This record gives sequence, structure tokens and C-alpha cells, in this order.
Amino acid sequence: MPPSPPVGDRRPAGFTVEVTGWRALAAFRFLTLVYAVALNLDDLGRVNSPAWCVATLAVMAAWSVVSSYCYARPRLRTPVLFVVDLAVTLATVLATRLVETPERIAGGEFTVPTVWASTAVMAWALRWEIVGGLLATLGLGVANVVVVSGQPTRGTVHNMILVLLAAIVIGYVAEVLRQVDRLLVDAWQEQGAVAERDRLARQIHDGVLQVLALVKRRGTALDGEGRELAELAGEQEAALRALMTRGSAAPSDGEVDLVALVTPATVSPSIELVAPAEPVMLRAAVATEVAAAVAAALHNVSEHAPGAHAWVVIEEEPDAVLVTVRDDGPGIPDGRLAEAAGEGRLGVVQSVRGRIRELGGTVVITSAPDEGTEVELNVPR
Amino acid sequence: MSPVRVMVVDDHPMWRDAVARDLGDAGFDVVATAGDGAAAVRIAAASRPQVVVMDLQLPELSGVEATTRILAADPSCRVLVLSASAERPDVLDAIRAGATGYLVKSAGAGELIDAVTRTSRGEAAFTAGLAGLVLGEYRRLAAGPEPAAGPALTSRETEVLRLVARGLTAKQVATRLSLSIRTVQNHLQNVMDKLQVHNRAGLVRYAIEAGLDEES
Repeated sequence: MPPSPPVGDRRPAGFTVEVTGWRALAAFRFLTLVYAVALNLDDLGRVNSPAWCVATLAVMAAWSVVSSYCYARPRLRTPVLFVVDLAVTLATVLATRLVETPERIAGGEFTVPTVWASTAVMAWALRWEIVGGLLATLGLGVANVVVVSGQPTRGTVHNMILVLLAAIVIGYVAEVLRQVDRLLVDAWQEQGAVAERDRLARQIHDGVLQVLALVKRRGTALDGEGRELAELAGEQEAALRALMTRGSAAPSDGEVDLVALVTPATVSPSIELVAPAEPVMLRAAVATEVAAAVAAALHNVSEHAPGAHAWVVIEEEPDAVLVTVRDDGPGIPDGRLAEAAGEGRLGVVQSVRGRIRELGGTVVITSAPDEGTEVELNVPR
Repeated sequence: MSPVRVMVVDDHPMWRDAVARDLGDAGFDVVATAGDGAAAVRIAAASRPQVVVMDLQLPELSGVEATTRILAADPSCRVLVLSASAERPDVLDAIRAGATGYLVKSAGAGELIDAVTRTSRGEAAFTAGLAGLVLGEYRRLAAGPEPAAGPALTSRETEVLRLVARGLTAKQVATRLSLSIRTVQNHLQNVMDKLQVHNRAGLVRYAIEAGLDEES
């Protein structure tokens, strides 16, 4: 996989409102231009000033080209462009007064740009959604009212209502499309992050982990500092491995894999996690308590039996989950636990017992001098 | 007695060479090494190792698949899995495919040499991790839809396996259960044999269900 490009470039091109919206607007602008030219040429013999009519059509054609070019470029799509667009449009609408006689205008004649004038409203609606669309509609409405000398015909009112509806619909669609766009980009980033993590995990597995394991292996045969370095390398290897496999504890139906949950507490070369191949599913709340109890028991081992090897064994029975933390340390002398209980200080043992009893489970602690200590948690499921 | 012929399969050259050197120093005859699964199958056929030390994450052909093919070509060969602890499902698949031992990569050179020696003698190289996997597999089989079909563990075998899973050595298990070491080792061997017989039985049943016995 090549190095990841910046997130902005990873958007699927041609989907977003920023691309499709402006392309559609340009198409609409040229279609309505053709319609306006056809209508006006047909009418050229009857208008008051054919020269003004042709001049207005020329301005519309020129602005159609310039504005479509500018709208297609995000850098040029500044508020200035939108204001100029609306101003040019309103000017062509007002030019109707120079082209037509007041009689023909009062008789319900179209403005020179006709539908073409609505493209500026649509641009505002795409940019500033419903609010933008309404503002531009208002501007266009005022211009139309000026054209008819303050006496709107039925046609004027009808057309303005159509423009208003178009502005609202386009504004709303633009808003929805932008939301979809954001969701899409989020999903895209998430997917990219997962792929990147997998790629890193593979590389770490193939390189770093092998070397760390090797350092640990060769160093164990050395004395003093070499041995310490080896232990450090081993710890880092275990920690990295746990980091790479994390995330598999994702809840399904409120259940989580106890093994994955316990794994982080066992990242030490002196601790071995023994478990079935398949996930051991427990309700999330129960699994969290059990994992905390295991962590407490392991802490107890490192406190009271430094240097001892420890095993965390997870077993699945039809109606219970058994978790055993065993160490090969010096063990607890006879009567020591009872003595501690008598003195009212049980510390870790008590906390483990308390957690498991609340889940309806039991804790059995067995220990003998020189035989290590075994803490067995039995949790019903 | 001539030295045991060993082959080392791992895709990481530095690791592969280090393991091979450790085994060579300990008196084994490292007849071959391979960096991917396909090469392992090919080279094993030519160099006939007695023990294959097998990593599971391999390019070309997975370690599990390579184990299957090597054992199909030479049933007397023994496979010891040397793999990362996080790959438990793969390790179980390798055991089902006929591997008889499993050691985590973080194990020391001494443990490796001990495991290869035991594997070469045909004993199961039982580590705590392997015991946990095997226990889990028997429990899964027992809880399955047709519990009577597969072999079950005797209560003594279960007892032995659970102690091995807790990190006890065969000797410690023997002391605790008042048995001889030999008996403990026999129990472990039986556990392994039954699991593999079960897998072969499973294959036969699968073949029948899939209609491969139609001619008969």
C-alpha cells in the first residue's frame, strides 16, 4: 500500500454536492440560456429596442461562460462571485424595461432572461442553503416588481412562487447532501485507519516483534546487564503483541471475550495466559469484574512473590467460567491468611473475594510453602 | 545413536537462523530451513526431517496447511509448533492437523531443546498453553450437537490436563496426584492421540456426508 494521501484527497470524487451541484448548475444555466435566446429572437421584430435585446442576451451568454468557469473552481467560489452573479442577473432582468414597451410589460410579457434568472437563486441556495435561496429570491422578486412598475401581474407572482419553491428544495437538498458527505468522509477515514492499523500490525509482526523476541532469546543466556536488556525486550514484545490484538474484545450482544479483556494484564514474559482457542464470552459487566480480579491477583503475585512465574488459566464449563491465577513463588505460610483476616487486613485477597462474590461466584485460595499460590475464581454464567 | 534430523520453518531469517544455531549447538542435525509454507513442504520431502519446528504465520502456504501436507507425505515425521501466543486458533488447527507440540516463541532456548527432544521421541511436548487449548477443544466437542460421537476425557486425564495448564511440570503433577511420571506422560499421550483420532474420524464422517463414498 502506498503512503496514505491527505484525507481530503480520499473523498470519492464526483459524488459530493461540491462537485455535482455546481456541474448541474452550469448545465441548467446553458439550457435556460438557449431557451431565453430562442424566445427573444422569435420576438425580436416586436420589441421596442432589438439592439438592447441583443446586448442583454450577449451579456447573459458571456456571464454564463465566466460564472460556470468560476463556480467549477472551489478557490474562486467566494462570496464576491455570488454577489456579482446575483447583480448581473438582476441587471438583465431590469434591462427588460429598456427592451420592451411599458404596454407589452403590463400585458404580461416575459422578462428578457426569463428562467435563466433563477440560476443565480439556485447558486445561492447551493452555497447558503435555504436561507441563501430565500435572500436571492427576495432580490429577484424586487427586481421583477420594479420591471412591472410596482404592479405585479398574475404571471409575475406565479413565476416568483416557482422560484421560491426551487430555492427551498435546492437549499434543503444541499444541506442533506452535505450531511451525507460528512458521514461518508468519516466512514472513509475510519476505514482508512483500520487498514492502516492492519498494515502496521503486519509490519510490526514481521519485523519488530521477531527482533525483540530474538534479543530476548539471545540475551537470556548472558549475565547481568545483558539479561536485564533481554527481559526488557521480552516485556516490550509482549506489550506490542497485546496492543496489536486489542480491539477484538468488541461487544456482541452485550457480551465480550474474557480472554481479550484479560490479555493486557498478562503482558509480561513471566506471565503465561492459558485459554481455549475460541473466545470465552461473558456479559460485559461480569467480564470486566473478572478481569479486574485477575489484575488484582497478578498484582499480588508481583508484590509477594517477585520473580515468580505466573499462569492465568481460563476454562469454560457448561454453566461457569473458571479463572485460575497460579504462581510458583514461595507460597503463603500456614495460618497466614487466617491471621491477616483476624487482624482485619485482607487487602487484595478481600477485594478479589468481594468482586467475585457479588457476581454470585466463589473464590478458593490454596497455598503451601514452596508450592506457590493458586487463586481459583468460579463465576456462574 | 545418530543425531535427530530437524528442519526449521519460519519466515523471519534472523529468527530462523538463531533457532537453527541453538538446535545445532545442542547436538541436533539441522538438515534444512525454509522461509515459507510451500518451500517447507518441498524441502521436507527431499531432506526427510524427523522433527519440523514450525512457525504458523507463513507466506505462500500457511503453517497449518504445510503441517497437513508434510504429515500426509511422511506420517513418521513430527511437527512442533513454535508460534506467538496470540495465535491460539491457528495453533489448535495445527494440532488438529497432527502437530504434537506447541511452544510459545518467548520460551527460552532450553525449553525449545527439551521440547524438540521429546517430540523426536514421539512424546507430546505439552506446555501449559497447549493443555489449555486441548482442554478447551474437548469441552467444545462435549458441548457440541453430537457429544457421543467424539472421544471424551476420563476424569483422571482431565485432572492431569488441568494441572499442566496451571504450569505444573509432569513431575509436579505426578507428585500431586501420587502417580508415576510415566503414567502422567501416558495420560498426556492418550489425550493427544484421541484428539487426532477424533479428527481423522471427523474427516471420514465428513467424506461420507459429502457423498465421497458413493461408489461403495
